[in-house]
Amino acid sequence: MSAPKTVPGLSEGTTIGPDIQVSGRVDGEEDLRIEGRIDGAISLTETVFVETSGVVVAQVEARDVVVSGIVIGDVTATNSVTLNSGAKLVGNISAPRLIIADGAAFRGEVAMGDAPPVERRKSTVARATRTESAAESAPRRAAPRKAASRPAAAPKARPAARPAAKARPAAAPKVDDSEITVVVKHAALARGQTAAKKKPAAKKKKAKKASKKARARVPARGKRRVSRRS
Amino acid sequence: MANTVIGSTIVIDGEITGDEDLVVLGTVKGRISLRENILVENSGVVEASVETATITVNGSVTGDIRASERVELSTSCHVVGDIRAPRILIADGAAFKGNVDMDG
Repeated sequence: MSAPKTVPGLSEGTTIGPDIQVSGRVDGEEDLRIEGRIDGAISLTETVFVETSGVVVAQVEARDVVVSGIVIGDVTATNSVTLNSGAKLVGNISAPRLIIADGAAFRGEVAMGDAPPVERRKSTVARATRTESAAESAPRRAAPRKAASRPAAAPKARPAARPAAKARPAAAPKVDDSEITVVVKHAALARGQTAAKKKPAAKKKKAKKASKKARARVPARGKRRVSRRS
Repeated sequence: MANTVIGSTIVIDGEITGDEDLVVLGTVKGRISLRENILVENSGVVEASVETATITVNGSVTGDIRASERVELSTSCHVVGDIRAPRILIADGAAFKGNVDMDG
């Protein structure tokens, strides 16, 4: 058993062999090929390759992630995530590009939150409402958008998972006040909060009107029908 | 030959265990526990306690080394820590500070 000889400059990256287990943090600025097991956290600026024998129980942050083995944990990529056939991933994916091949097994949420927001066309309905509601929802809009753009916000994948719904209201501040109002209502409907308050009020009004009409036909107790004849 | 290579820009903070050869060109902090050979290259920095069969150091190791077979400190290496091994080779030019125990 002689010691291994000097390895010629391996600039292709780092390899964790099949019989190695690493428990802790791995940080780096080069490609990482995993054929063994890593528990903990991985943070790279290059590509992570999880080979078929690789098992990663960690939070992965990298530029590209190519999975052919098993990954349990959130994956955040600034460029792309690829799940090859035979890959198993349990965890949330946050990446602008995603490729899932036939035969890959995946369970989790996908947030492609770095996509540009959808342009909202002009709405014709204009209603005057308090600007306070617009201002109050503005920080709420800003917060999930911020969470979506930060690649490190992997556990906040849920609020980032609604960038489509909230991206439209986020684009609204450019247009005038009436548009904000309408858009705020739409966002509120998506949330089901503010609209829920207003809806029963509207319903009540309608119900009152309907009941009034009904009462007009049916006379009150003890009184006869007021007819025009008499 | 060596399957596991820790590249020069990689920093591992934790524990490494395994049954394979390991070549360290980057930084490892924590613990290394292998049953094969470790080679710490010139750019390698190991701040860990190491348990292995054999180890060859060309870089820097700060921490105790326990080898079941052999320890080799080459020229331009820098080792601070105790060494426990049945066989030790220290080349001319190596910098070493610590205790040596060759009881095996």
